[in-house]
Amino acid sequence: MAAMDICDRCTWRTPVLIKTLKDDNMKNKLIFFLISFLGLLTTVGAGTIKVVTTIPDLKSITELIGGDKVSVSSIATGYQNPHFVDPKPSYIIGLSKADLFVTVGLDLEIGWSPQLLASSRNTKIQKGAEGYVDASQGVGLLQVPSSANRAEGDIHIYGNPHYWLDPLNGKVIARNIANGLERVDPSNKSTYEANLQAFFKKVDVKMKDWQAKMAAFKGSKIIAYHNEWVYFETRFGLNIVDFMEPKPGIPPSPSQLVKVIKEIQANNIKVIISSPYFTTSSSDVVAKQTGVKELTLATSVGAFDSIKNYFDLFDYDIEQLTAILK
Amino acid sequence: MKLKNIVYPICLTFAVVITTPSFSQVPADSTAADSALLKQVEQQMQSNAQPAQQPQQTRSTLSFNPDIGVIGDFQGSYTSKGNKNFNAYLNETELSLQANVDPYARADFFLSFARDPETGKYSVDVEEGYLTTLSLPAQLQLKVGKFREAVGRINPTHPHALPFIDLPNAYVNYFGEEGLNDEGASLSWLIPNKKFYQEIVFQVTSGLSGSPTFFRGDNNRLIYLGHLKNFFTLSDNATLELGLTGITGPNDSSRTTSIAAADLTYKWKPVQMNTYRSVTWQSEFYYGHANLMENLSVNSFGLYSFIQYQLAKRWFLTGRYDYAQKPYDKDIVEQAYSLTGGWYATEFSKIELEGKTTDDNVAKRYYQAWLRWIFVIGAHGAHQY
Repeated sequence: MAAMDICDRCTWRTPVLIKTLKDDNMKNKLIFFLISFLGLLTTVGAGTIKVVTTIPDLKSITELIGGDKVSVSSIATGYQNPHFVDPKPSYIIGLSKADLFVTVGLDLEIGWSPQLLASSRNTKIQKGAEGYVDASQGVGLLQVPSSANRAEGDIHIYGNPHYWLDPLNGKVIARNIANGLERVDPSNKSTYEANLQAFFKKVDVKMKDWQAKMAAFKGSKIIAYHNEWVYFETRFGLNIVDFMEPKPGIPPSPSQLVKVIKEIQANNIKVIISSPYFTTSSSDVVAKQTGVKELTLATSVGAFDSIKNYFDLFDYDIEQLTAILK
Repeated sequence: MKLKNIVYPICLTFAVVITTPSFSQVPADSTAADSALLKQVEQQMQSNAQPAQQPQQTRSTLSFNPDIGVIGDFQGSYTSKGNKNFNAYLNETELSLQANVDPYARADFFLSFARDPETGKYSVDVEEGYLTTLSLPAQLQLKVGKFREAVGRINPTHPHALPFIDLPNAYVNYFGEEGLNDEGASLSWLIPNKKFYQEIVFQVTSGLSGSPTFFRGDNNRLIYLGHLKNFFTLSDNATLELGLTGITGPNDSSRTTSIAAADLTYKWKPVQMNTYRSVTWQSEFYYGHANLMENLSVNSFGLYSFIQYQLAKRWFLTGRYDYAQKPYDKDIVEQAYSLTGGWYATEFSKIELEGKTTDDNVAKRYYQAWLRWIFVIGAHGAHQY
């Protein structure tokens, strides 16, 4: 629409401007300039669909669904805490030009993405617009609280938002992203649908492999640093006994460490799992006391160099976990 | 004429094409297949006409109420000046109400219930109340209402979000304890620069709210402000912001005061461990030119510079230096040093302790200290980076 407005203005103004220019050479130069300008506008319009996602897992899935029809960037990196991304103004540049915005939703990004969206001045990607994709739509949510009470720490009133850590939820995310892409770019619907089916198939194939690898460790008791593994735990039959954080978002306290140490000793727990953005100092103390192993798993694509896409994420985590639980 | 010859047949054809389906809906020739279809439709219609089972009318918990938050600011203070040295008070209670108005705009209200330091009585004030457009073309955004104006970094920030309890001397000299917070309109433009973030803000306000510098007299003179914000990403972990501001408006002598300001902020915040470690170095410079009487103009200067260091996830230490010439007499110079330690329990509460020493070349050195506890309930919007 913006491009059309500019074009309208150009055709309306051109004769007026040309009349005032006596020099033919100047006239030619002006016409050439206008034509190039219009050409530039059409080239920009005919480019790929520009997508901004909040976390790199959504970026990876968007790339798998969109193929060469999309260019995708993620605001957060794979090794940073998605709850606490700093809303740097530089992110607004990408958002102001985006055709599609994909968010985890469920208030995971409440501290930073609403502010960035409001500052983007881009009506296409505001909540409720065609270019806004809440990837959580249709996901079977876990840990939906019965009351909203901050005395329980950083709880999320809509449910635990770390749902992308179940590969089957990846399918729901992919469906939502495909819907979004088809809304803003209906001409490539068949491509998106074909890629979506291919994605579904690959999830099914990989899932069998992952399930087979994890089968031997069903019911394995582990400790986690933060409550962000419930979807992974449920899918692969693990049993997270307790967390290093006494409550979500509250740093480990001495009394919590004592409690965890007792639990590890009582249940013969082999491993504490954590994420790249948490310090290991408290887990180190527990490890020293009990001999439990510490394992930093990836919560997102890009957490470690080898994790290039959504499938690599589970390959990595399952390989690491199975090796340590053996 | 030629164009008409082409357009009319096209329109005609188009009209025929769009009206044809409606003709076909009339059963001109009722074949066996048609009547079977008709029966099916009739059956369907009948079944629809039967009172269908009422869907369960569960009342949605969603509502159009705005996001509501309350911020409490409890303070204790000490000053070495005068006889009444200690004090404890609920400095401010801020009520925030924020929501989208419609697809075109959002509204933000911040109501402040604060104690008047003179009378000790509480009063209600609209700290901010403004409408922001969401759908202006050409990367423009318009804000109307009462808002904290775009002077550098401190003025747009609500005091509870600052890393110290008192405000820098130079800032207070020019804009007062309440800051430059006025009624009017603000238009900002996101400059289409792909290399780094650039935004220009232009604000026109009435001057009714009052500040030490600007005053609305019995005429039509308004306060004009222009601000250019440049934000550079130096690396994944480091950013630099440079802002330039110019303000001009009438003063209480019905003459003109102009202020030029610059702000420079360097932040280091490692992406991976951004909740544990960070360093911020922020400075603002103010230069004022006040035409107070015929043949009397005062040029004054002031600055503050602070370094905030995050020691651990919850611990922050901030050291600040203030230099301030009085805008009405540049020979009166204040210099102050302060140190603030902060313990941020969660995103929703923090405790800070600040000590400050002030020297000026007229009165003797004095000391101040504050302790404050900030706590938030309900919704709490994100702060600016």
